[in-house]
Parts: sequence; structure tokens; C-alpha cells
Amino acid sequence: MTNSRSTFRWHPYAITALLIAGMTILLKPFGLAFETANIALIFLLPVLLNAAVWGLRPAFFAAFLGVLSFDFFFIPPVLSFTVADLRYLISFAVYLVVAVLTASLAARLKQQVLYSKQKEKQTATLYALSKQISSAVDMPSLLDRFSRQLSEILKMDVTIYLAENNKNLTLARRSSPFSHHVQEQAELALAKRVYKQGKSLEKRISHTGGLIGHFIPLQIEEHRFGVMVLISKHERGETLPEQALLFEAIGGLAASAVARVKFEEEAKLAHLTAESERLRIAILNSVSHELRTPLAAIIGSATGLIDGEKLFTAEERMELLVTIRDGALRMNRLVLNLLGMARLEGGMLTLRKDECELEEIIGSTCMQLKGYQEHRTIRLDLTAEIPIILGDEALLEQMLINVISNAIKYSPNYSEIILSVKAGSEFIQLSVADEGVGLKENELERIFEKFYRSEQTGHLTGTGLGLAISKGIAELHGGTISAKPNVPKGTIITISLPLVQDN
Amino acid sequence: MSNLEHHVRVLVVEDDTQIRKLLKVTLQAHKYNVYEASTGEEGLEKVSLASPDLVILDLGLPDLSGLDVLRSIRERSNLPVIVLTAIDREADKIFALDHGADDYVTKPFGMGELVARIRVALRHSARAQEEPVLHHGELMINVAQRSVELKGEPIKLSPTEFDLLKILAFNAGRVITKSQLLKQVWNEYDDSNRHYLRIYIGHLRKKLEDNPAEPKYIVTEPGVGYRFLAAE
Repeated sequence: MTNSRSTFRWHPYAITALLIAGMTILLKPFGLAFETANIALIFLLPVLLNAAVWGLRPAFFAAFLGVLSFDFFFIPPVLSFTVADLRYLISFAVYLVVAVLTASLAARLKQQVLYSKQKEKQTATLYALSKQISSAVDMPSLLDRFSRQLSEILKMDVTIYLAENNKNLTLARRSSPFSHHVQEQAELALAKRVYKQGKSLEKRISHTGGLIGHFIPLQIEEHRFGVMVLISKHERGETLPEQALLFEAIGGLAASAVARVKFEEEAKLAHLTAESERLRIAILNSVSHELRTPLAAIIGSATGLIDGEKLFTAEERMELLVTIRDGALRMNRLVLNLLGMARLEGGMLTLRKDECELEEIIGSTCMQLKGYQEHRTIRLDLTAEIPIILGDEALLEQMLINVISNAIKYSPNYSEIILSVKAGSEFIQLSVADEGVGLKENELERIFEKFYRSEQTGHLTGTGLGLAISKGIAELHGGTISAKPNVPKGTIITISLPLVQDN
Repeated sequence: MSNLEHHVRVLVVEDDTQIRKLLKVTLQAHKYNVYEASTGEEGLEKVSLASPDLVILDLGLPDLSGLDVLRSIRERSNLPVIVLTAIDREADKIFALDHGADDYVTKPFGMGELVARIRVALRHSARAQEEPVLHHGELMINVAQRSVELKGEPIKLSPTEFDLLKILAFNAGRVITKSQLLKQVWNEYDDSNRHYLRIYIGHLRKKLEDNPAEPKYIVTEPGVGYRFLAAE
């Protein structure tokens, strides 16, 4: 189709002509002293040389020129193409046959060397490419490495189009900024055609200049992922068959890499979705259970009061009312925690810095948990002087309620919970020690993770939010919270809050 | 009625303190003697020690599953058991009913509903199984003669329809699961008969109810079965 491949290169012919002229001048003085057969042999030399260096056609040209020069200058009658002795014609024929044979042999040998060199280069190219892209873990890095490496090796612009959901071919990667010679729309249209047909295509894609686009579909068996476009940067001849093969091989390599990354990404996504779905169900279950239990107590008590108004003694009525209050408080704690979590997560929790009296907060916390603690005693162990700290009273109370209600929840009835406060010079330390189920060594940190619930909790339901929020609140105040085992059993949660807060 | 219920012993097996307290206070106000257990183990112990007349059993217990407790109770006695379940545990509820629970109440429940269920369960256990003639409002069922009268008019029922009505009416006030009905009427449990059940119930309603869409006698317990409403 295009004849640019056979562009005439004239310099081998000029050099050959000069060489033969030079040889003729050099040989002329000895010419008649030598056997003419020797001179003919010498004239074979440029033929061989040309065949090895430039190929067949310059070699034939050298043979032809050699015969002419030999005839004109060395065969009597000299300086004429006429041949006196007709036997010389046989010599010419033998010369030509030998010349053609050596030329073609040398040329083939040269081509074979060239071919094997090219093969080696291709193999090295493919190897380097595959090494580069095999370590890529996501699509952008894969495409980036691939196109960069390939454009370096081939000295071509590399463009990759990928199909989304098996249609909608879109530009995924371009190795270099788009040169204005190429028409983007035309390229996309061609890529779409190649994607649809699944066959490689080679086409001129610029109006000016001879830019050639090689469109190679990226496909493995019936899966088609997109199209790779290689654009020669410089004007070049027709694609050699071995080059086309190389392009196909590169296309296959790219397709398998894209397939690998794509399937990996899909698998990862599926796994992630399943995991988050599982977590969501677990959270929903625990939250709904935590909400429903106090709700059942509230509804039951209220309907009991309404239905059997006259049945109840004043004392019983009060007990049902207390049940309603406790249930509502329990729900309130949960709702506060859910809200707190949402605000902590969203970074919307801004800290107020009021002067807080810790003793008051502790007192109000204990009051709120009175109904919840049943027969557990909460012993307060406070040092004489508790300094005032700066912080958000409501948040500090929520933190303390979470920690103490946890201690109540996971410790047996009739056990003791000790709340102690120690003031240092820089920090004030609150410790809540229970005699409950305790924690395993590896759980001491994890219990402050959101939604994490210790294995020791057994049948006791919960959301796994309380301590996570407590940690958030402690850290918001510039403090820390930690857990350690109590002796002989149970857990001690220690909250440390800074006394002097920087302004 | 209140004379009958006087000194009736009710055992509450429930792990949540607040709900246990609520049940205790309310049921005591209704003149029941209330015993409490917070675990399945304790519940089974109290069944033997306190010999209650009725058990209220939470299916979501910490140690044994409520269903295990129910099975253990059924191994030794026929005493009425009402199970408490969460709204999302449909399967547990049906399983419990098919394995001998007398009735169920879904949390959150109104106390009136629970007390009504307790009454039905107690009355049922007090009554002899075979009564020759059942009266429910304007409906009269003569079991011996296999005849039914509504407002004094005889009603023609097919043998299957009669059997269905008989079982439902004997258990008036209690829920009967679909598989219990299938077992008792068709004598074997075969899931493919389930849609027949719906058809026969439809026929019965057409013949008995003034408005089959708003049944007065046979009401559907969604997902569970049917309940014959007892006329007070």
C-alpha cells in the first residue's frame, strides 16, 4: 500500500561506483601484467562487501558495474566493450554467476544475523516489559509502568484504551502528551473499530507527516479488555512481519497483565464488600438489640400501668415507673454513644474548655448508674484535693458513664468497683477497677477499637462503642485511656487527663 | 376468674433484669405468685423446686438456648409454656410452638396481651381435652355428632373442614402453627399440603364469618399459623 519502505537510498550505489572506479584506476597499471582471471576475482570483492553491508541490490549493482569495467578496461580490445575472444563471454557469465551466488549467500547470512539479533532484542523487550508490569498491583500503576517502559523500548508513543463494563472504550493512558499531528477523535474511532472486531489494524493517523498507528486489541480468549495504540514517532517504512509479531506479543502481554490486575481488583472489592456487609449486619443486630431490650421494658411497664391502673399498689406503680425511667436512661446512653461516634467520626466534635469539677462529674455519674448497678458497690477513693480541669463536662461525664457502666456490666452482682482519683503535677488519673470477667493480654488495646467486643463478654450483648468513644473523648482532652488486668481478677481502666492545657 | 387464678404460680425465665422486674410487678398485681430465674439452668431448677403452673420463657437466654429449656421442660411435664421472642426471630418462634410451647409473645409486648395469653394457657390446661359440645358466641360445635350450628342454623362442613375447626376451637385462644394443623388433620407432615390448608381455612371462613376478610373466629398469625378467638 505504502511505498515509503522502498525509498531509494542512493549512497550505496554511489560508493560502489566510486569503489569500482578506484579499483580500476589502481589495477590498470598492473592490469595487463596480471592474468585477467585474477582481476575478475578482485572485482568479486565489492560484490561480497555490498552483499554483507547493504544487501542484495547494491551487490548486484556492483557485479554489473564490475563486469562492465572489467570488459571495458581489461579485456582486449581495451577501452571498448567489444570482445575479441568470444571465450571471455564465458568468463563473464561465470563471473556473474559466482557474483550472484556469493551475493545472495552473504545477503542471506546477513539477514539471518539481523533477524536473530532482532529476535533477541524482542525477547529482551518482552522480558523486561513483563518483569516491569508483573509487580504492578493496581491498574493506574500497571498502565503507567507499561506505557512508559514500552515507549522507551520501541521509541513509540503508547496509548491504551480500556473498556468499562465491556463497552464504552475510554482513554486510560497515554505515554506522552498527545502530539497535535494526530487527530484524537480519529484515533478513538479506529480504536473502537479494532475493539469491536478484535483484529489488529495499521493505519496512517495524521494528515501531515507519516505517523502510523498500530492498533492492537487487548484480549485473552473471549475476554476483550481494550485496545493498545502504538504510534511511530518518526516516519518509518512498512511494518515488518516480525515487528507485527512483536506488537501482537506485547498486546498479549498487556492483556494478561490487565486481566490479572482487573480480576485482582474485582476479587478485592468483592471481599471488601462482603466484609463491610458482615460488619454492618453485626452492628445493626447489636444496636437494634440494645435498643429493643430497654424498649420492651418501657412498653411493658407503661401498658401494665395503663391496663391495670387499679391493680397496683403505690409501691408497685413506683417500681414500674422506675423501670420505665431506667429503660429510657439505658436507651439514652446508647443514643448518646451513637451520636458521639458519628460526631467523632465526622470530626465534628469541638471541645469546650470549661472549668470542670471532677468530683461533681463523678457524683452525677454515680447517680445516673444507681439503678443499673444493682447490688454492686461503687467505692470512691478520692484524694483530698482534686484540682479543676479544663474540658467539656458533658463529654467527660459520658466517658465516665461508659467506663463505669462497662465495669458494672461485666462484673458479678455483689462485687466491688473502685473508682480512684490521683492527682499528679501534670496529670490527673482516674482508675476504675472491677472484679469482673477480665481481659486477655492481647485484648487490652483492642477493646478501645470501634465495634470490638472482647471474647470474654460471652452472652452479654453490646455495641462495642462505649470504650471507643471514651478513648475519643480522652484524646480530645489531650489525655489517654488504657486497660490492665486487676488482681486477682477483673480489669482496671485508667484515664489520664492533663491538668494544664495549652491554650 | 380471679378466684381460679388465685395463687397460681408463674415462673419467669428471663435474663434482662428490667423485663424480669416488670413481669414480676405486673403479674403480682394480677395476683399471680411470681418466681424468677435469670438463666436456663436456674429456670430448669425452679421448674422442679417451685412446681409452677405456668412458665414464661425468654428464648434468648445467656446459657442454654430457650429452646433447650423448653425441650427439657417438655420431657418431664405438660405444664403450659409461653415463650418471649424478639420480632426478628420468626424461625425460633415457630420452632418453639412446634416443640410444645403453648403460645408466644413478641417483644416489645403490652402487658394486657401477655396476661390474656396467660389466662388462655391456664384455662386450656385446666380443661379436659374432650368436651362433647363447644360453644363460642353464636357458634356451636357438636364434636360427637360432627355437626356445627351458627346462630341456630346448621352449617354443612366437609370432614376436613370439620377437623380443622375442631382442632382450632379446642385450642381456642391459642396459636396453632401450620405444621401442627397439617400433622393433626392430614396425619402427616407434608409441605406440599400447605396451600390446601390456606384453601380450607378460606372455605371455613366463608361459611362461618360474616365478613371473611375481617374474620371474627379464625384469625391469621402472620408467618406462624392460625388462632381461634375465644369468646369471653
